[in-house]
Amino acid sequence: MTDISSGSLPLTTTDKVRASLAKRHRKQRILQAFGIAAISIAFLMLFILLWSQIATGYKAFMQTNITLDIFVDPAEIDVDRLPRGDFDDVLTAALLEKLPNVDVTDRAAVREASGIFSNGAQFDLRDRIVEDPSLIGQTINMRMPVSDPYDQLYKELLDRETPEELRRLNDVQIANYDQLLDAGAITSKLNTDLITNADSRFPELAGLKGALLGSFWALLVCFLVAFPLGIGAAVYLEEFAPKNKISDFIEVNINNLAAVPSVVFGLLALSVFIGWFGLPRSVPFVGGLTLALMTMPTIIIATRAALKAVPPSIREAALGVGASKQQVVFGHVVPLAMPGILTGTIIGLAQALGETAPLLLIGMNAFITSAPGTPFDSATALPTQIFIWADSPERGFVSRTSAAILVLLTFLIMMNAIAIYLRSKFERKW
Amino acid sequence: MDDLRTVSKDVDANNTKISAKNVQVYYGDTHAIKDVNVEIKERTVTAFIGPSGCGKSTFLRSINRMNDTIDICRVEGDIRIDGKDIYDRDVDPVQLRARVGMVFQKPNPFPKSIYDNIAYGPKIHGLAKTKAEMDEIVEKSLRRGAIWNEVKDRLHAPGTGLSGGQQQRLCIARAIATEPDVLLMDEPCSALDPIATSQVEELIDQLRESYTVVIVTHSMQQAARVSQKTAFFHLGNLVEYGNTDDIFTNPKDPRTESYISGRIG
Repeated sequence: MTDISSGSLPLTTTDKVRASLAKRHRKQRILQAFGIAAISIAFLMLFILLWSQIATGYKAFMQTNITLDIFVDPAEIDVDRLPRGDFDDVLTAALLEKLPNVDVTDRAAVREASGIFSNGAQFDLRDRIVEDPSLIGQTINMRMPVSDPYDQLYKELLDRETPEELRRLNDVQIANYDQLLDAGAITSKLNTDLITNADSRFPELAGLKGALLGSFWALLVCFLVAFPLGIGAAVYLEEFAPKNKISDFIEVNINNLAAVPSVVFGLLALSVFIGWFGLPRSVPFVGGLTLALMTMPTIIIATRAALKAVPPSIREAALGVGASKQQVVFGHVVPLAMPGILTGTIIGLAQALGETAPLLLIGMNAFITSAPGTPFDSATALPTQIFIWADSPERGFVSRTSAAILVLLTFLIMMNAIAIYLRSKFERKW
Repeated sequence: MDDLRTVSKDVDANNTKISAKNVQVYYGDTHAIKDVNVEIKERTVTAFIGPSGCGKSTFLRSINRMNDTIDICRVEGDIRIDGKDIYDRDVDPVQLRARVGMVFQKPNPFPKSIYDNIAYGPKIHGLAKTKAEMDEIVEKSLRRGAIWNEVKDRLHAPGTGLSGGQQQRLCIARAIATEPDVLLMDEPCSALDPIATSQVEELIDQLRESYTVVIVTHSMQQAARVSQKTAFFHLGNLVEYGNTDDIFTNPKDPRTESYISGRIG
């Protein structure tokens, strides 16, 4: 009514809308730019992570080996004394044959030369001869991993230009190495030991078998405990529990539980499972129980969401033909919610696979050189193995740490891919 | 749209199947159904009409105790089927729902095969002992649901793959597979196109021979076409109940007249 005071013709709606359009479009563009920037930063971080791990880790997937013709001297190895015998002397003799420069009588020089052997080499030879004692007196061809400094040298991680006194190999050792390399005795091949060996103090022998099996057993226990309990709790809360203050209180606490720092669960497990129940330390069974404590809230929350997503029309349909509540829930609702439940479970297990802190507290970071055969054998897990290796001083563990991280990431990506596959495959249109 | 011709089939001098006396339904503090008294005849199609929110669906869902599943819902009064109070302590709602089938607004087949959709009710109630008996029940139900010819070659295809009208007839067949006496239909055609609607209406007319059908509908034309008795609900009250002919041609209550002539609703 008083619009006339503006002194101009009254603006039409179209004019007003047009006036504000530019501003609205600009706001939208800014929002989009922020979104793209956020995603770009996230991808950049992911790329840096993967790139840095691959750049340092790929070398651990190759192992430098030395191949020698070994004369199994009956004078050194007596068939009656097996498994004892001077296997290292036999190895050294074979090595010295390739290195005529080394003075056999100079014990220090011989010791320097034989440092190329990994500590495991003599045991490999022993195992082979114990298995087949008829090899004694024959010449056998054997390929063995070289020790860490020579491996580093082959991979050019050890700089020849470094002053001798700061180098891990002296000039004579490098000369020996070059001689062997020229003779074709030094080769490099895919490092299957990384998967098939358990942990070792020597990086060239250390593998992930113990950690992989430890993680496998722990996750299996975690799944067997958390999956039924989580689904049971979720189904009860969602479908059967009366909606009152108590169920609200429980719901709030389950959501809180999902946010409790994992180190707290580790302490809880330490005092309950190991302290009260007297379960052994460092075993995947306890690790699995601990991880189950953490995974259960995730499974409960995912299951409840999946149950909620089942349309009420299906419940009505089943009730309408006279199904009991229990038949409705277990005959219709839970099966229809199963893809969502499985997706949540796999994501929960993937989290559990990468969890380190609670496993440290229950001792799954021990130095264990044999792979666990059951969930009750001491073991490490993948993330704790990474922790141990990252903490080790030997240079060879640097690339192995990265390699272990890559292995862990591979498993995580696989699990998440399965979750996405399940979700898209079983997604229903109602 | 103004076709208000009624099905001028006579209502047989039938017995009362469902009787409701002083029924009150509350949702929390809301008084949704106020003092409803009605006698629904056997082997008759009874239509509940009325504007949205008038309580017709609520009352329908009281007849097979589907309202029990809603925590805040409370039913008072007396609803009897064949003289038996269905809210009595010794009545199990599960058993009641096997006798009082229900068809819902939106077709809601289980995401299973057509065969399993029909077989589910008989299976949980143990109505078939052998596979042959079950096959027979499935075929009979699908025939009565007037959908057998369309699906007999693909009984193991998913029920959700059928068209909307076929799904709804499948749901009707599913509801009658447990041999109920009463069939409750909550706006069964509201999600269907006109051709599917007329197929379902035809089916409802056939079902009258074996079942007591109670249908809630938004469409007065539909009530006129399929029902013999009509009850008009308004704001939770049962305003008028009588022969469909009388309600549509000679309503006694001014509110009924206003609704039918399109002035309220």
